[in-house]
Amino acid sequence: MIRIRVQPEVFNAGQEIEAITCDRRDVGAVVNFLGYVRDFNERPDVVALTLEHYPGMTEQSLHEIAESAQARWPLHAITIIHRIGRLTPGDPIVLVAVASAHRQAAFDACNFVMDYLKTQAPFWKKEHSRSGDYWVAARHSDSDAVRRWENANE
Amino acid sequence: MTKLTHIDSKGQAHMVDVSDKALTARSATACASIKMRPETLEMIMTERHAKGDVLATARIAGIQAAKRTSDLIPLCHPLMLSKVSVEFEADPELPGMRVYATCKLAGQTGVEMEALTSVSVAALTLYDMCKAVDKHMVIGEIQVLEKRGGKSGDWCLSSEVSAVILDSTATSSSRARVSAPEIRVRFFAHLREQVQRDECLINCQDLPDEVTVSVIIQWLTAQDACLAQAFANDSLLVAVNQTMVDRNAQVQPGDEVAFFPPVTGG
Repeated sequence: MIRIRVQPEVFNAGQEIEAITCDRRDVGAVVNFLGYVRDFNERPDVVALTLEHYPGMTEQSLHEIAESAQARWPLHAITIIHRIGRLTPGDPIVLVAVASAHRQAAFDACNFVMDYLKTQAPFWKKEHSRSGDYWVAARHSDSDAVRRWENANE
Repeated sequence: MTKLTHIDSKGQAHMVDVSDKALTARSATACASIKMRPETLEMIMTERHAKGDVLATARIAGIQAAKRTSDLIPLCHPLMLSKVSVEFEADPELPGMRVYATCKLAGQTGVEMEALTSVSVAALTLYDMCKAVDKHMVIGEIQVLEKRGGKSGDWCLSSEVSAVILDSTATSSSRARVSAPEIRVRFFAHLREQVQRDECLINCQDLPDEVTVSVIIQWLTAQDACLAQAFANDSLLVAVNQTMVDRNAQVQPGDEVAFFPPVTGG
């Protein structure tokens, strides 16, 4: 089961895990990744950020990433929630929850989903700092992270 | 060659004597366009502007201007206008606002100068109302669309040029456009700010038969310096119909092509 949501509202990680595991007896592991807004990034004094996305393509892209993970590992469920709009340091920004019978598949798949989300899903962050606003630059380390999954495929 | 009516036999400017001309019902419609950022257009349409109702103010300005035309244009007769109407049409493709003014009177001279003055001042007022949020607005395409009554009879711009200019603004009575296959190009994030627009439409008739993403980039680069500079950055990503592709990918009429910087979510 794949659940994808792109929303300005805050999410509740506990409820999302509950939604995955209720009525099931075959889930042995749920691995959850929660991303938060930091008060330092490219500049040390980030006061807020604004997330822009490409409506339609974003949901489709997240769905394809979840399907790739399902094709690779035996998974029971994947939930991806990403927030958009203006967020401030300390706010949760992204949730990836993966359920499987065993922990290794859930750990790997969660990692995989985040690596692809960071390089494929059309989101862009603009950070607002005390010294001005700027668009966050993509990191090479994120592309490298994806490449290791591609290499593992061969 | 047609004679210039405001120059006399000695080559001097003069006001034409219309005393003997018949009193007829006359009207003229003119238009102007004002290009602006899509955000500015949206702000006007949703009436969120800090200066208040932009269109209501510009409409009054257009009506006042029509009445003052003879004060501004040296050889123009003062006219007893019987009707001035000013209309606005949001055009997301421009992107911006089109202003239409129609002036009427029962009189002895034409009213196209009044209609032209009206749309000009209405456009200037739009600029004045919005300049705090958008300094890149461009006023243009000020022209007469239609003239009725008088000795020279009825005249309509659209009947002369609509066959040639697909995208021209027709008269208010036939404002529908000839539809042509188009490719919608969208811009996101930093790129959107650089090119100062959310999207643009490319008429497929302006492109070769075989269209790839590279062809679209070439076309965009040739449009203006702003686009050329933004597309000099080869790290830009591209999606056709919301799927990421490379620059050799084919593009068909009706497709949506999106350009954006490397993504930074998560």
